[in-house]
Amino acid sequence: MAGERRGLLVSKGWIQAVILVVLIGFFVLGLLAYRTYQAKPPIPERVVDPAGELLYSGRDVERGQEVFLNNGLMEYGSVFGHGAYLGPDYTADYLRRSANYVSRSYGGARSDRAAQRTTEDFRTNRYAERTGVLELTAPQAEAHRRLVGHYSRFFSEPTTKNGLRPDAITDRDDLRALTAFFGWTAWAGAAERPGHNYSYTNNWPPEPRVANEPTANVIVWSVLSLIALLGGIGLLFAAFGRWNFLGWHGREQATLSFRTPGDVALTPAQRACAWFFFVMAALFVVQVVVGAASQHYRAELSSFFGINLAELLPFNLMRTWHVQLAIFWVATSFVAAGIFLAPMIARREPRGQGKLAFLLLGALAVVVFGTLIGSFLGVHGLLGDAASNWFGLQGFEYLDLARIWQVLLSIGLFVWVFMLWRVLRTRLRGEHAANMPWLFFLAALAIPAFYAIGLIAQTGQHFTVNEFWRFWVVHLWVEDFLELFTTVMVAYMFVLLGVVRERVALTVIFLDIILYSLGGVIGTMHHLYFSGEPAEHMALGAFFSAAEVIPLTFLTVEAWSFLQLGAAQESKSRTPFPHRWAVLFLVAVGFWNFLGAGIFGFLINLPVVSYYEIGTALTANHGHAAMMGVYGMLAIGLAMFCLRYLIPAERWPERWARISFWSTNLGLAWMCFATLLPLGIAQLYKSVNDGYWEARDLRFLTEDTNALLEWLRLPGDIVFIVGGALPVLYIGYLGIRHTVKRVTLEEPEDILFTEVSEPAGLPKPDVEEAAAARVT
Amino acid sequence: MTPEVMLAGGYASALMLGALALEWLSAHTHRRSIRYRTAGFAYHADHDAWTCPEGEYLWPHELDHERRLMRYRARAHVCNACPVKERCTDSDHGREVVRLLDPWPHSEAGRFHRVIAVMLVALAGLVLLVAIVRNHAPLELAVLGTLLGVTTVVGRFLLRDLRNHPAGFPEPTRSRGSRSWSSRS
Repeated sequence: MAGERRGLLVSKGWIQAVILVVLIGFFVLGLLAYRTYQAKPPIPERVVDPAGELLYSGRDVERGQEVFLNNGLMEYGSVFGHGAYLGPDYTADYLRRSANYVSRSYGGARSDRAAQRTTEDFRTNRYAERTGVLELTAPQAEAHRRLVGHYSRFFSEPTTKNGLRPDAITDRDDLRALTAFFGWTAWAGAAERPGHNYSYTNNWPPEPRVANEPTANVIVWSVLSLIALLGGIGLLFAAFGRWNFLGWHGREQATLSFRTPGDVALTPAQRACAWFFFVMAALFVVQVVVGAASQHYRAELSSFFGINLAELLPFNLMRTWHVQLAIFWVATSFVAAGIFLAPMIARREPRGQGKLAFLLLGALAVVVFGTLIGSFLGVHGLLGDAASNWFGLQGFEYLDLARIWQVLLSIGLFVWVFMLWRVLRTRLRGEHAANMPWLFFLAALAIPAFYAIGLIAQTGQHFTVNEFWRFWVVHLWVEDFLELFTTVMVAYMFVLLGVVRERVALTVIFLDIILYSLGGVIGTMHHLYFSGEPAEHMALGAFFSAAEVIPLTFLTVEAWSFLQLGAAQESKSRTPFPHRWAVLFLVAVGFWNFLGAGIFGFLINLPVVSYYEIGTALTANHGHAAMMGVYGMLAIGLAMFCLRYLIPAERWPERWARISFWSTNLGLAWMCFATLLPLGIAQLYKSVNDGYWEARDLRFLTEDTNALLEWLRLPGDIVFIVGGALPVLYIGYLGIRHTVKRVTLEEPEDILFTEVSEPAGLPKPDVEEAAAARVT
Repeated sequence: MTPEVMLAGGYASALMLGALALEWLSAHTHRRSIRYRTAGFAYHADHDAWTCPEGEYLWPHELDHERRLMRYRARAHVCNACPVKERCTDSDHGREVVRLLDPWPHSEAGRFHRVIAVMLVALAGLVLLVAIVRNHAPLELAVLGTLLGVTTVVGRFLLRDLRNHPAGFPEPTRSRGSRSWSSRS
């Protein structure tokens, strides 16, 4: 058997380089995981006032964290800068309010002595590791007692004026515990790390009242990462300018004839994909509508065009649905595209795959609706504590779903990989383990593997540790492994279409893995500058994530440009290229990768910018442009590719595909440029000039000019929803309504095209004719 | 001038610069992508011919009016005997290279960038208009008015450019989906 195996198509050096880069990346990440557990801010067993009276216990902090998460408050405000942005950052909020009280009790803001003593109170680390007791000063203790009252009033507000449901939290113990949790994060934000002159959170939040300023590390690593970026880009462009080492010797395209959709027979599982894409489109529509509703809370907090929406659908519920559905609909498209491509790669499909596909779709629906209903019950406080965690919502931003659904989703994704393996296994046996079929399979396998890592985060566990593992999903899973699977899938699509040779595609995939892993793996830490991690997370995170921008720029401007439609237009295909809109969505992915991930991402990536900016509209700006721009467009692009074959050619709604393409892109660009970017810059300015707390304050966000900015995005949102999302739903509907009838279990070799050796009627070239042509 | 006017004016200018940068970037990206397709080949404008990496000349061979491009071809017997033919072409009629006739070739990617650029300028105009509606001091009106004038000029330039460069994509198989849909309703 081994003798028949197809050998590796590219040089072994590529595999060695990939293994080296990935090993180094994960070795460093392993070390940083160890350091996370070792250097996280301690949770005191008892927090007492100078008289020794208990203010709150370590158990209270844990309980408060559970209350915070299970009530979906991380989708309302934030802690350590991470969460949603309608409410305040509770770390900064607690710190500001308690510092104000302490300062007043020492004689007020005018007094230098008071300012100095306030700073001393907060910066001195009075936690005794041996006894586990943290002693606060008398004014700090009094401030805490008053803040229990303040937060109790805030969260038990009987109206919806804060955008939360009425009487959101009323249990006195819960309110005390919640304040204890906020108080502990604020303590970690200001108390100096033993042996250092900065706090556990690298002095975050910025707060002059307690002398929280950017640390030396924040500045130095910002500068160094900037240099890494400039140097990296220079090196890369120099290297690629000099050696044409991708081996593109401008090979001439063979003349192709693309098979007309409708002539391509589909397997049962491929036909099942029509339903996946319909579900995807439906989820997409719900996601954007819910997103618009949550956005509206910022323009009009207590009414939705006259309706009091928060009674039933408070802001945090809208927000958690919005971010959860973003992952769900994109994942649905990826899963379906994987199922769709596998039989084309293997050229066969085992029996029963279609049934399995429908089973998987059913399971997915259970998870999605379970999550939506669970979040509703959780946010409305209709579940008990333990039940809320398992069936309501866990509440981590992006990993909000209840534990049971998280486990089921992980299992479902593994089942999906098993399904791919069923199809591919004969093909895999005949291939070198680094050729494209194997890369396709391995990239798919990484998706459930890294999603399942999110299970390490648990509601009752230390917040810093949770954040560390959460970003393995939010960053590593999304930005690296989805990107990898995407690259493999897109490259395979082009190989199957015959417009890119397998060897070139393979080179691009390897280059992509190397460039992304180089920065992306360790770069995960750029989310964790201020979450209670030691300074090395910030240093490495900043430095390596700056390198992440390089492939975004490079691969966009350079390497993938050869996939531009221009190539297809020049080649003399007899039949028109069927995937105009799928490829245009990919072109859009390139654009948004460059703008949304590259430019908007780097804009907030430097520690010194992130220090003032985290949790403002600039983060949302990057989030929307990168998440929708890259993964959203990709998901739609993949759907367009598959739907083109699922819908008979004469039924293909070319016009709606065009409208959807332009509307999603223009709507998204409008959203970013009309509101998120200018508002974010205004907030950044406010944050540096007046203070972080002021920049997050709703009074600032709803002041005249800023409210105008929020209203300005309305036209873009309407274009996006009506012109962008609804046509996708219509195309998805056509997919299930008119699914191509021809069914097969075996596919021909060149499924999507036939090669024509030479177009008929082309004159034999000779010198005279060439000369004649020159004259014209 | 109020801060709002300065912000509006500054942001509108930034949007316009962004639009122009995008315009340049899309042209640049396209030039690059063309370079990849002819990597290793050199064009000699004085002879209107290309040389391949092995030193063979490719002479003009066909002018494609429809796609606005010139095809160049090497001599078939030279290519068929070439040791690196496998890496170069499958054709037995000699390697072909294409040169686009327009300095700014039609490409859908270029169009995509252009439309976004037009949108940015439209947004700049809207920002300025809103600022004019809300602020009425003479100096403010003068500044905002001037910028609005510039926006109009830039916008017209970009729009004309966009119109001059249609995608030219061959129409796919006619869609009957929407027609049957409307006839049913």
